[in-house]
Amino acid sequence: MNESRNVAIVGYGETKITLRGGRSAYELAADVFDEILRQTGFDRSEIDGLAVAETISETANPFWPAYMADMLGLTPTWLECLALGGVSSVGGVARAIAAIEAGFCSTVLVLSADSQSSKNQSEQGGQRHEFQYPIGLKGPVGAFGLLTRRYQHLHQLDPLALAKLAVTQRKHALLNPNACDKLQVPLSEQDYLASRFVSDPVRILDSVMVCDGANGILLTTKKNIRSKGIAKFVVPTAYAEITNFEAFNPAAEITETGFKVAGPKALASARLKTRDVCMFHPYDDFLIAILLQMEQIGFCSDGEGSRFIKETNLSFDGDLPLNTGGGQISAGQPGLAGGGLNLVEAIRQMFGEAGSRQVGKTRNAVVTGIGVIPIGRNWSSSAVLVLEQ
Amino acid sequence: MEAKRVKPVANSYMHTQPIWDAARNGRLLVQRCDDTKRLQHPPRPVSVYTGSKNLSWVEVSGFGSIYSWTVTTSAWPGHEHRVPYVCGLVLLNEGVRMLCNLINIGEAELKVGRRVRVAWEELGDGFLYPAFELLPDR
Repeated sequence: MNESRNVAIVGYGETKITLRGGRSAYELAADVFDEILRQTGFDRSEIDGLAVAETISETANPFWPAYMADMLGLTPTWLECLALGGVSSVGGVARAIAAIEAGFCSTVLVLSADSQSSKNQSEQGGQRHEFQYPIGLKGPVGAFGLLTRRYQHLHQLDPLALAKLAVTQRKHALLNPNACDKLQVPLSEQDYLASRFVSDPVRILDSVMVCDGANGILLTTKKNIRSKGIAKFVVPTAYAEITNFEAFNPAAEITETGFKVAGPKALASARLKTRDVCMFHPYDDFLIAILLQMEQIGFCSDGEGSRFIKETNLSFDGDLPLNTGGGQISAGQPGLAGGGLNLVEAIRQMFGEAGSRQVGKTRNAVVTGIGVIPIGRNWSSSAVLVLEQ
Repeated sequence: MEAKRVKPVANSYMHTQPIWDAARNGRLLVQRCDDTKRLQHPPRPVSVYTGSKNLSWVEVSGFGSIYSWTVTTSAWPGHEHRVPYVCGLVLLNEGVRMLCNLINIGEAELKVGRRVRVAWEELGDGFLYPAFELLPDR
């Protein structure tokens, strides 16, 4: 598939994830920008497209992307604000490709930076003031409590399967120097099972810890790659996204998500079967979200997630390497930059730069995003990106 | 002194005044699409079924069943004094789901499908907010 695509990813950058690090999203973004320029050898003037993910820390500024362009000294001919929550980074890749194909620009920086644990300026408003806040549902943790309970009612949910996900990702985080220091401690299945409930049946170790951090990737045309003689690049070959899947059907199951559409669509578009997938880098705000994605993208059937997890070696050197940098759950969630964390790790693996956690077979990777947790139903946005060598 | 839950302010994102006026009298209103006769909740400025603004408020029975629930032990800000409390999704008999608190229910009694009915909680100054409680098994 990659020969027929005109755009590829040629570089990535990422900061260390910190808890209340105190540095602004601008400063964190600058670190990523500097790293990408050094890594790729691109001159700043060659970047004519900029897509910036929304934040929790700087969200009060309605002109955020233009401020970012100003801070970085960029003069883009295409400027985009990505406001899809955890879908912003994979969605940013798709939008960047569309902009390049349309001729608006030729080299795009997709940038995500947030300091949510240091500064929070966000308020989602909408129906929440009247129909959620008075009830006291604990945000995403509460919503996933409802979702998890519903899943338990419909299917078998084995706590040992979730424990295995927690332990596997923690082992990966221990090999990732960018993972948050506070999470750089070994974790056992027993530790997971003994962790306290925050919104029963959701345990504190089911969920991410909100941190600060930034990541970004650089995309350009195959023509530029050839003329510059760039050797390392990764090709996004398929993308599918859906928002508000079944949202307005009052009988829709809250456990059934847009991945039922986006997963099979993206894989079919890349002409891949799930058994051909070399690495899986799913968005992981909650452990059960990984399980649901395995079922709904098609690695196993509905209700079989626990069995699939227990039967599959998900280690970086296993059958289906899973979130090999530790994912957001064990590296830390850099606020709304979280959607780029697993994307950057997939690219790092495909560039062969993952050090002690390097995956053997990196011919392709499936990376996903989840965006926005609305009131009383499944999540809003689901997206699947396929990367190939 | 016990902390008070913050009362919602009506009309925060659209005209919802009729819901809260009816609530003061213990009546539960839901929005109805007049073209399809289907219900939607929370209210929206258009029908999610047709996109039209042909909407009205209808009173529902207040009876339903538990669709899912979660026991909140780590509070949303402002609800610390209520811990532990139960948040749930109730499927109303009329076919629409409502995020709510489940009150006066022991954890052992919580079960998907259990029948519930509306129960009103006073949030101050006579402001009544809908919650749900178990309907005794017959």
